[in-house]
Amino acid sequence: MLKNSLSRNLVTNNLISKKFAFTLLTTSMLSLGLTACLPNEKQDAKVVINKNPYPSTYQVLPAQSTLLTNATILTGTGERLNDADILLVNGKVVQVGNDLSAEQVTVIDMKGKWITPGIIDVHSHLGVYPSPGVESHSDGNEMTSPNTSEVWAEHSVWPQDPGFQAARAGGVTSLQILPGSANLFGGRGVTLRNVPSETMQGMKFTDAPYGLKMACGENPKRVYGSRKILPSTRMGNVAGYRSAWLAATEYKRAWDKYDSEYSAGKNPEAPTRDLSLDTLMGVLDGDILIHNHCYKAEEMAVMIDLGNEFNYRSGTFHHAIEGYKIADLLAANGNCAAMWPDWWGFKMEAFDMVEENVAIVDAVKNSCAVVHSDSGTTIQRLNQEAAKVMFRANENGFALKEEDAIKWITANAAKSLGINDEVGSLEAGKNADVVVWNMNPFSVYAQAEQVFIDGAKVYDRFDDKYQAKSDFLLGQQLNNQVNKIADEAVVNSVNQPATSLVTKE
Amino acid sequence: MKNTQLLTSLRYALFGALAVTTSQVNAESIAITNATVYTVAKQGILSQATVMVDDGIITAVYSKNEVPASLNADSIIDAKGRILTPGFIASGNLLGLVEVGAVSATRDSSDKKADLTFDASLAFNPKSTLIAYARKGGITSNLVTPYGGEKVFTGQSFVVNLSGDFDSVIAPNNAVMVSLGSSSKGSRATKLQTLSNNLEDAQKALAKAKKAKANKKGKDEKEAKTPSRSELVMNAILSGDKPLIAYADRATDILFLLKLKQKFNLNLILAGASDAVLVSDEIAKANVVVMMSAIDNLPGSFDSLHNSLVNVAKLTKAGVKVIISNSGESYNINQLRFDAGVAIANGLETTSALAAVTANVADSFNLNSGRIAVGKNADLVLWSSDPFEISTKVDAMWINGQAMSLKSRQDALRERYTTKSTMPRAYTK
Repeated sequence: MLKNSLSRNLVTNNLISKKFAFTLLTTSMLSLGLTACLPNEKQDAKVVINKNPYPSTYQVLPAQSTLLTNATILTGTGERLNDADILLVNGKVVQVGNDLSAEQVTVIDMKGKWITPGIIDVHSHLGVYPSPGVESHSDGNEMTSPNTSEVWAEHSVWPQDPGFQAARAGGVTSLQILPGSANLFGGRGVTLRNVPSETMQGMKFTDAPYGLKMACGENPKRVYGSRKILPSTRMGNVAGYRSAWLAATEYKRAWDKYDSEYSAGKNPEAPTRDLSLDTLMGVLDGDILIHNHCYKAEEMAVMIDLGNEFNYRSGTFHHAIEGYKIADLLAANGNCAAMWPDWWGFKMEAFDMVEENVAIVDAVKNSCAVVHSDSGTTIQRLNQEAAKVMFRANENGFALKEEDAIKWITANAAKSLGINDEVGSLEAGKNADVVVWNMNPFSVYAQAEQVFIDGAKVYDRFDDKYQAKSDFLLGQQLNNQVNKIADEAVVNSVNQPATSLVTKE
Repeated sequence: MKNTQLLTSLRYALFGALAVTTSQVNAESIAITNATVYTVAKQGILSQATVMVDDGIITAVYSKNEVPASLNADSIIDAKGRILTPGFIASGNLLGLVEVGAVSATRDSSDKKADLTFDASLAFNPKSTLIAYARKGGITSNLVTPYGGEKVFTGQSFVVNLSGDFDSVIAPNNAVMVSLGSSSKGSRATKLQTLSNNLEDAQKALAKAKKAKANKKGKDEKEAKTPSRSELVMNAILSGDKPLIAYADRATDILFLLKLKQKFNLNLILAGASDAVLVSDEIAKANVVVMMSAIDNLPGSFDSLHNSLVNVAKLTKAGVKVIISNSGESYNINQLRFDAGVAIANGLETTSALAAVTANVADSFNLNSGRIAVGKNADLVLWSSDPFEISTKVDAMWINGQAMSLKSRQDALRERYTTKSTMPRAYTK
């Protein structure tokens, strides 16, 4: 039974109700109790929760204004433009259309190439489950309590994961790094720009909302059931969510009360901070988006009601193997569903896969179908993952086109992450996240040739200068013997007579 | 009329009949005409060719100019120029041994007690829902590689066809597997030593037994010790009758295995082989086949720092015969063709890619399939277009000349949920 979180919640409630606060910034013992209710009293400094204590330091890489011409452009808005141009200036898309011209820009003929928005993966564990997959790197699942809303995936991210480079070569420009699914509440996810950096902050997508990872079904009940604590059943899962949201509701009420009393000129005691409840309150405030690992139709339906019960949006269902069974419900409630084309069978809740899942969810009005990877391997080919859905669906009565399918890995993914004002489509004013493909990206033979983030080239398949390499792989493939292609400096030093050694003696 | 019946059953196969439930061999004869035939054999690629099948066996492969004026077959299928290939042969997975990964009661792929005699083919379930789904990727047969137990020798592999019939195990216990390389406990050296010592001991025992037998000739032969089951398997490895599939990634492990091959004259097949590119010339020289993933390109461990999408192409160019295996378990082995496509996109010749999922597997495991040639099993796939493309689908499939259904449980679910009904979905069947 949610031992940790329940006892913590009880303590919190006590603290709040008795105003027995140890808040550091309100330390005036005299004010306690005596003057708390008087209006226009002397106010202590307001206690404000810093919602962004690990801010982004992302800087756009060196960029120049560019006009890419004569390509087939999938805009991500459902449009396909043939023989079209796209103008990128100061990191933004300025114009998409035919026969564009501009001064003082680099013009690159992209005849025969296809251009799409940068690919966005809403579900990745790169950096938190990096390569090599050694124990020391296993940082994605805080499996110590069914509710670990207090942990943030960004604090686990290893920016040197070679998987980031591989994903970039597959056209991935933004991605959400999520905690694993062992817990009912796994912690916060973070959205990153897929640029090389020494720090997580250097990759962090400026002002992207945080995600909160929740998990339905088999994983939490297996992990904690085996330890004989709640949840060991699906009903235990839901009881766990509800207990936590009850506590969060109380917590939010306490803070709202504090804020309104303070605004009214009073000098109230601030509630005691609780990292776990901070995150849940962020969801109730609409600042943090839910990303819910949830496979089955009946569980997603319960999670939708749960959101309504506690007045928060139930967000994006991840994996959603059975999304096709409740496509109408998902659309009606405004949920996104992030799905694989065909990953299945590894557990009971993944047994009812259909290859047309994404297409069926997508077909409903106001839907938000997303193709995700959850894999360091398939994140490199999300274009092909979308292609599989499109072609299998078209074999079975659908009439999907490339301009439709691209949305699953661009615009809809951006919507799921709350970054659709900035990225996800090629429209004037959007960030210039662009992938140039050597051919139709829905071919198995397609390769991303150039990738731009905010107008800066971050990858070029044919230019080593634009192929970043992780610190980890650097120097792993050194030649031990000096040979013709070895470093010139090494050869020169060998050719020098060993006078220095002699003189030292 | 036979002809009509077959065409009808073919139509069901094309448009989704229920799985074939009988195990009768279809003795009818078929002519597949006007096909672009990728023979993966001496004849190469033939356009407007005709393939004749009788009693489950390919009886003729006619190029455009060789096609007889009249074809003597129970049914004639016009391929309309589409591509006909040998059925793809998957490998390195648990198909038919595991239904649902996390449901332990449906897992028959390993056992604590398993040793090199472990015969998991006894557990193979031809009615697994994974099989019909795998067929949709053009897979007609498969090398199943159970994990076995905790010993260095993890058991024996077996080959099945994907007919779904009760007699679909083609070759039980066809190779012995060893698992080498890094692990969280102990040293890799112990595994290499164990393998080496076991081979050496077996060789000595064999020599001793021969000597004893020679000495006792004419005397009481009953006294000669009967070899144990394990010894029989070891002897089969030493005689080269059974291939040894060795899972190893790091180049040092691979080089040690090549030494063992030379010393004991093993029929060695390398599996995994992430860092094989470092010793590709040595592998080629030793004439050893490599069974590997075409899409695992991340440095997953310190044994696989040289994983890359170009490795299949690099090894092939170095003269190594490569088998492309799926990574992971067995749910998506139908994606073998896409993995091969990725290898092509990264430098592998199309014909080499095709061989890597057909003839190379057949040659390595002595199967009478993997090629379109006279005398081979009629395991054939007719594709709507390029077999490796995502936009392509399987239009028809034959296993031993029997037209196969291309419908799986997934199709039934899709049909249910895309069919309009005023009643609950459960009434839509």
